[in-house]
Amino acid sequence: MVKLAETDIREDGEAVLRARLARLEGVLADEVRKSETLARVTEAVASSNDIDTCVQVVIDGAREISGAAFGAFFYNQLEPDGESYALYRLSGAAPEAFASFPKVRKTEVFAPTFENTAVVRSDDITLDPRYGRNAPRKGMPEGHLPVRSYLAIPVATRQGEVLGGLFFGHPEAGRFSPRDETLLVGLGAQVAATIESIKLNTDSRAELNHRRKAEERLKFALDSGRMGSWDLDVATKAYEASDLCKANYGRRPDESFTFADLVATIHPEDRPRILAAIETAIRDGAEYDVEYRVVHPTGELRWLHARGRAAQTADDGGVRRLAGVSLDITERKRAEERQKLLVNELNHRVKNSLATAQSIAAQTLRSVAAPEYFRDAFETRLIALSQTHDLLTRESWAGASLREVFDVELHAMAGEDRVSFDYAGDVRLNPKAAVALGMGIHELATNAVKYGALSTPDGRVAVEWSQQDGVLRLAWTESGGPPVTPPARRGFGVRLLERGLAAELSGGVELTYDATGLVCQMALPLRALEP
Amino acid sequence: MTALSALKVLVVEDEALVSMLVEDMLTDLGCTIVGPAAEIEEALKLATTADIDAALLDVNLGGRPIFPVADALKARGVPFAFASGYGEAGLTEDHKGATVLQKPFREADLRRVLESLVGQTA
Repeated sequence: MVKLAETDIREDGEAVLRARLARLEGVLADEVRKSETLARVTEAVASSNDIDTCVQVVIDGAREISGAAFGAFFYNQLEPDGESYALYRLSGAAPEAFASFPKVRKTEVFAPTFENTAVVRSDDITLDPRYGRNAPRKGMPEGHLPVRSYLAIPVATRQGEVLGGLFFGHPEAGRFSPRDETLLVGLGAQVAATIESIKLNTDSRAELNHRRKAEERLKFALDSGRMGSWDLDVATKAYEASDLCKANYGRRPDESFTFADLVATIHPEDRPRILAAIETAIRDGAEYDVEYRVVHPTGELRWLHARGRAAQTADDGGVRRLAGVSLDITERKRAEERQKLLVNELNHRVKNSLATAQSIAAQTLRSVAAPEYFRDAFETRLIALSQTHDLLTRESWAGASLREVFDVELHAMAGEDRVSFDYAGDVRLNPKAAVALGMGIHELATNAVKYGALSTPDGRVAVEWSQQDGVLRLAWTESGGPPVTPPARRGFGVRLLERGLAAELSGGVELTYDATGLVCQMALPLRALEP
Repeated sequence: MTALSALKVLVVEDEALVSMLVEDMLTDLGCTIVGPAAEIEEALKLATTADIDAALLDVNLGGRPIFPVADALKARGVPFAFASGYGEAGLTEDHKGATVLQKPFREADLRRVLESLVGQTA
């Protein structure tokens, strides 16, 4: 019996020991499992780079560790009412479970969490003195997940900023141990650190992105304006130039381009002025705004406009960096020069035209028999001059053809249809020759209408010309008019044709008073006529 | 009747009407006209060889500048004035400060210029 009893006792003791061992092994296994979970969660948290994933990993893991039925994370995002907090991650429950109450109010139960004052762990929250004190619900609202065991951990940065809260629940009482609390508080701290670092990263990424975009915009603006940008370190004379800036100085992007190269590229005549401007900008922090010529390595001369200003001021108040832009303005400079030339040329023409009008007036006054004839004679000549000008203006003062000059001068004259033309080729005239011949033709035509072939109904004028050996030979032959005799005194027309035109066009002009009519023969070198 | 009587003046002008006007003015002033020359070559020949007391030069002869003629006159010590629609602006550096008759000009202006030119040499 004893033996049996002993055996029994031994067996009893062994059973107890085995049970204890088994329980301890269970606890140990549980602890190992929790540790493994914790390690896995910790790693997942540390490697997550968005807040939602991080939070989800934590509440899933924490639920696994604590055996909670439900887990949730509420962000500390104050709703406009100033009293409630927005949900955002769930574990162990479908989102629909919270669909009707996605916000948490800062009631007495929740206050310690959202104010970061304490962890709340309760074996049965429904028995907690803080529970059920808030109107209108006085406890959990209808349809709420059934919670008795309750664990709430504030998630806050080290500076005390509350990011949100981790909440865990179970429908049965007494499910969360102090050990669970310790582990989950540790997780909460990790969540806080991770959220903070993710936010920081996001902020700096956004900042970087913003800067990159601003830089892209700037580059686009500079490129579309063909502007080069540059930066000079005042102390070391280290010079940085963008590709376009290098191009402005005739350098390829891969070529080195130092400050010394820059100075050497500036036209020697402009160099002292530019160096002085740089010096002033550095010394006084003055605006640097200069136009100068550069000589590219190919020898090409270009105009540049550079602007810059002190980009950074040294501790002693002096300028440390000078930065700015440069722009090739060669085309603008050439256009300015062209415009200046054009304005000068126009002024010259206007003044010459005035002198011509003055001459016509003076000579008309000398040649008219009585002052009352002056006005008509003067106006007719002035208009003849103006008609040639109109013709030239239509062709941008590039020139006009001989036939065109005849046509404008004979236009609307009596007997215009009785003037015949015979020539092999038209002749291009430069503006000066066109004006001179225009006046000459006008004098011939006026004379013919007043006294010559065109003064009678049957008179005719034959205009013929030919070109040979660089000479234009032109004949104006009147016939069928009244008998002509040489004039008693040389009038304006005769003088203009025989002296003026001949001299101006370096040729010869001869008037013959044939019995059949006036003949005007011109021999003019083409070099004096052609544009 | 004036100090300009019998003054021999070279006229270089390539526009017939203007040239005729200048001739008339000079004739009125009692001067003798040499030329007028409308081309550089002829003007140069007269400027270097002709018997002249003064010269009136159009700045632009059919697109060619008159300055070689001016230089030749300077070398001979013949006083001259430019007649130009460009005014002073049309002159090269070498000739800045030379006498310029801005076209159009009056007979009195021409007289004054000639008198001052002759006065320079007298």
